[in-house]
Amino acid sequence: MANHVAAEATPPAACLNQLKKQVLDAGLCVACGACVGLCPHIIFYDGRVAAPDDCGLSQGRCLDLCPQAPEPAQESKRRALHAQAGQTPAPPLGPHAGIWQARAASPDLAGRAQYGGVASALLALALEEGLIGEAVVTRGGQRGAPQGALVRDRAGVLAAAGSIYAAGGSLLALNQALAQETGPKLGLVGLPCQVLAAAAMKAHPSYPAAARRLGLVIGLFCTWNLPARGLRALLAAEGLQGPVKKYDIPPPPAQVFLVETEKETREIPLAKVREHTLAGCALCPDLTAELADVSIGAAEGRPGWNTLIARSAQGESLVKSALERGLLILETPPAESLDHLRAAAAAKRARAAQAWKER
Amino acid sequence: MNPAAKLYAEPLDIIITGVGGQGNVLASQVLGRALLKLGYGVTVGETFGLSQRGGAVMSMVRVVSQGVMGPLVPENRATAILSLEPLEALRVLGAYGHPQVVVLTNDRPLMPVNVIAGANRYPDMADLQAVLAELSSRLYWLPATDVALELGNPILANVVMLGALAASGLLPLGLPELEAALAEMFPPAKMEANRQALARGAALLA
Amino acid sequence: MADLSKLMPGETVLLQGNEALARGALEAGVAFCAAYPGNPSSEILESLADSAAGAGIYAEWSVNEKVALESAAAAAYTGLRAMASMKQNGVNVAQDFICNLTISGSGPGGLVLITCDDPSGISSTNEQDARFIARLADLPLLEPATPAEAMAMIKFAFELSEEIQNLVVLRSLSRLSHTRAGIVPGPLPQTRPKPYWDPKVNHATMPVVPLHAKMHEKLARAGRLMAAAGFNSYEGPQKPELLIIASGSSVLYAAEALQLLKAEDKAGILKLGATWPLPEELILDHLAKCGRVLFAEEVDPFLENEIKALYAQNAGRLGAKAFFGKATGHLAAIGENTPGRLAAAMARILGLEWRTVDEAYAKRSAELLAKLVPPREFGFCPGCPHRASYWAIKQTLAVDGRQGLVSGDIGCYTLGVLPTGFRRVNSVHCMGSGLGISNGLGQLGRFGFDQPVVSVVGDSTFYHSALPALVNARWNQSDYVLCVLDNSATAMTGFQPHPGTGRTATGQPGKQVAVESVCQALGLPYAIVDPYDLAATQEALYDALQQGGGVRVLIFRRLCALVQGRQGGHPYRMRVDAEACRGENCGCNRFCSRVFRCPGLTFDQAGGAAVIDEVTCVGCGVCAQICPAGAILAEPRKEAAA
Repeated sequence: MANHVAAEATPPAACLNQLKKQVLDAGLCVACGACVGLCPHIIFYDGRVAAPDDCGLSQGRCLDLCPQAPEPAQESKRRALHAQAGQTPAPPLGPHAGIWQARAASPDLAGRAQYGGVASALLALALEEGLIGEAVVTRGGQRGAPQGALVRDRAGVLAAAGSIYAAGGSLLALNQALAQETGPKLGLVGLPCQVLAAAAMKAHPSYPAAARRLGLVIGLFCTWNLPARGLRALLAAEGLQGPVKKYDIPPPPAQVFLVETEKETREIPLAKVREHTLAGCALCPDLTAELADVSIGAAEGRPGWNTLIARSAQGESLVKSALERGLLILETPPAESLDHLRAAAAAKRARAAQAWKER
Repeated sequence: MNPAAKLYAEPLDIIITGVGGQGNVLASQVLGRALLKLGYGVTVGETFGLSQRGGAVMSMVRVVSQGVMGPLVPENRATAILSLEPLEALRVLGAYGHPQVVVLTNDRPLMPVNVIAGANRYPDMADLQAVLAELSSRLYWLPATDVALELGNPILANVVMLGALAASGLLPLGLPELEAALAEMFPPAKMEANRQALARGAALLA
Repeated sequence: MADLSKLMPGETVLLQGNEALARGALEAGVAFCAAYPGNPSSEILESLADSAAGAGIYAEWSVNEKVALESAAAAAYTGLRAMASMKQNGVNVAQDFICNLTISGSGPGGLVLITCDDPSGISSTNEQDARFIARLADLPLLEPATPAEAMAMIKFAFELSEEIQNLVVLRSLSRLSHTRAGIVPGPLPQTRPKPYWDPKVNHATMPVVPLHAKMHEKLARAGRLMAAAGFNSYEGPQKPELLIIASGSSVLYAAEALQLLKAEDKAGILKLGATWPLPEELILDHLAKCGRVLFAEEVDPFLENEIKALYAQNAGRLGAKAFFGKATGHLAAIGENTPGRLAAAMARILGLEWRTVDEAYAKRSAELLAKLVPPREFGFCPGCPHRASYWAIKQTLAVDGRQGLVSGDIGCYTLGVLPTGFRRVNSVHCMGSGLGISNGLGQLGRFGFDQPVVSVVGDSTFYHSALPALVNARWNQSDYVLCVLDNSATAMTGFQPHPGTGRTATGQPGKQVAVESVCQALGLPYAIVDPYDLAATQEALYDALQQGGGVRVLIFRRLCALVQGRQGGHPYRMRVDAEACRGENCGCNRFCSRVFRCPGLTFDQAGGAAVIDEVTCVGCGVCAQICPAGAILAEPRKEAAA
């Protein structure tokens, strides 16, 4: 009775199929987590995003929110999102109201954090002031792979301080939090890809909860990232065992990746690290998280200090408030440092543009 | 021993169909045993294959006054189709039906998993009933599962359908012969439910 | 199955073909019966096992078909009548032994091999014609057409085997094995010989050439005895326009086709029941009387080709003939025969009009079926642990992200190639071959192959033929993950016991051989997981995939849902919270019913929410774990066993 077998119909342009084709299968995914948690079809485990089944839907948010989706092109999608926020792209550093070198005044923050503890200080302040009620941060999870976590107070912020050089899919936690249509304003600390996704969430007509609840976005500078498994493989290849206390990439010309464990601190040449980095990161033009309210990174040649960029009015007033309360120490950066930062940001843009061309 | 009554058709070819787990093979065995006891030549062909894994299942009960038939009813030559599931009645009609065929079917659909999954559509029940009527000379559209549930167990639908078949005039036997055959296969404790199922099935045609 | 030793001689009973074969063997005084389950052959040994106490015989489920036949041969060497039964694929497993057994001979006790072939592959992975073994190994071949003839033939088969001291092959078909008919049992023997093997007698294959010659003599003698046994006959006109040479169920189809065509006066049927060696004299005699010949047999053109070869030797004497069959396309070279197919072929040859039903009806019904009738896909049973296992495998290979492959094997879990197993199985061949495929893939890393490899094998198949491949993988350090889908039953063929269950064919306790004990003995790393626990299973599999190195084993252990159903059922009553269910809304799109595909979990279109089918759902609780909205609730069912 095979002649009565009907063919199974699959919609040709199902959104998830497109995400799979254009991003996941194309090796573009940077595991930001923007698509994870929206639906049961997209899963995240040990630092990887996967979609084993077809969702069968033609309308969905997963592809729209993906910062790595090839369409529209990076430049035009960023321009549109800036415009929506009433800003201009202002390359190479993005829109900014002020740029400082900064560190947290409180020694508990500065000591614990990656550089100057500025991100933690600002986030804790935003929570204390009620600017936001909860925040999504990234911290170590299962198998050492980072994952998103929701924090509500200073203690939670401190627990998540310090960089984890692996893709964390932490926007999963944001999507989960936004599944509640109403609730406190949410903060996010994220990488440039995640900041781009967060901006896309706020602007998406089918994601009203994001527009309503996403309050503060703190961006972190990023040149590239490692997949969780890649980081593990790197450490294993280096014979490093036991829990890692801290990772760092000292500013040029060091060209090394520092890994500090209980027993030792190891310098791994960056060339070796790059064998394990996420391929998709090469396509990202954004060094300084240009769509954030404030962006924070290392300060060149100045251990224990951050570079801080206030971008939006909200970001600016948060920095101001922190200064007034004596939580931050701000200094004007040397012109040379700013030049180097601009050059690095421009170089990342240029590398990404070239990489898209070569695809 | 020669059979007493003349058969409705020679050969009398009854196809019992349904879905794995509905008790199709059991129904065909009961019918076969009862007819054999009356002296008819009986062949019961069973196609179960992967039937326990949700597939369609079919038994062919072939009855002649004398001799032995092959296990397969020839294409488009079934005398009657007894179906434990309405969609399967139509499926079998396509291969074995003809304008004179008599169809008795349980009206309770069992959704194929591909229908559950949304890949295919189960036909509208009114359409299904109309089409079965169009493609047969007589259609008995029977609430066998409902009756079985009233009796306490949906699995009794097959015996309800046998009761209806006995009342249809197609068989050279009545309820007592079917009951005797059932008694060979079931412990006495289960016979009261079977007896009631037969009677309720026959009553559906009254 | 019933105890066939209790049947009353002379009293007609409705017996299945397989039961008729079993009863016939009992009447022939069989003492030793062994088999490996496989449809359509399983009921033979099942009914013999159920009759073992009553009839005083030994019946075992062997670990595979080769062991079954070897064991039966041993009994035959001691003078006992013995048999092994199997499906067509099993003959391949036993083939190596058969091709040597035929040289050594089978000893004083009759030895019979029953192969149940499955044209159209109704319950098989192929529709192989196992008659090849008779020609390959020069063994006598019997092909019964009806259950009654099957019973008579098996008795003859034992006598013939004892006469020629070689194995005799009896070939059944699904349509015979699974057909019930009125059977008149005969008496059972009251005595049997005491088994004895004279140590001065060897049953070996050397010297090969003289024994090969002896084997040919045996076959020739068998041919003479078979010709006189009355299983071959002709019915029809003295000088027919068409001679139909038929064997097996096709004999009945051919007779019915002639009736349908009302062509009994034009064509005659030469029914062959004793088919190999060919009854040459009989065939030549009939060829001489008719210019046109149609062959009706399933599946291969076995008689067709052999008889054409016989004709070629005698063509000068017989003159020109026209042969019809599979070679000419008058009958299909694949699939089953049916009365209609044969009638169409005969009509074409004889120039007769043939239509199964009037054209308008055929057209209308085809039209309505195409419009209204969806297929009814095979699927795992409600609560089947394999559905959960494949879910875990699918999810885990996806997050692993290295395009992992799954080698399948033979059992219910073969359905992993279908949507019910999320189409997650990449290859399926024969029993145990999944491990061989994995073994090969697991060595390709040296060439840059970087896809992880998973092998799935059922518990019964594990013992049947996975062991040598597993030892090989351990030895050569092949890199793959073996998942033993252990549902503690040979579920596909009817829940027969196997070494892991610790019970024997007759329900007696045997010594259990657990999968993990094999792993321990081989020094294999292994873990036991419960596939109903999706998260734990996925984590264990993910870890195993990341490990690399040699073969490592995960035992997915959970009782077959149907067996669990008989043992008190599952622990939960499932319920859908319609408020919480996201239904067809964006992001879910009926994830549970559309993707998970359990027949117990359906979708209420009107209500726009998933709903549990209470009649079908067994309450395994797995679907509650996949619902993204937590809308499927597993509530403990008080009366159930855990």
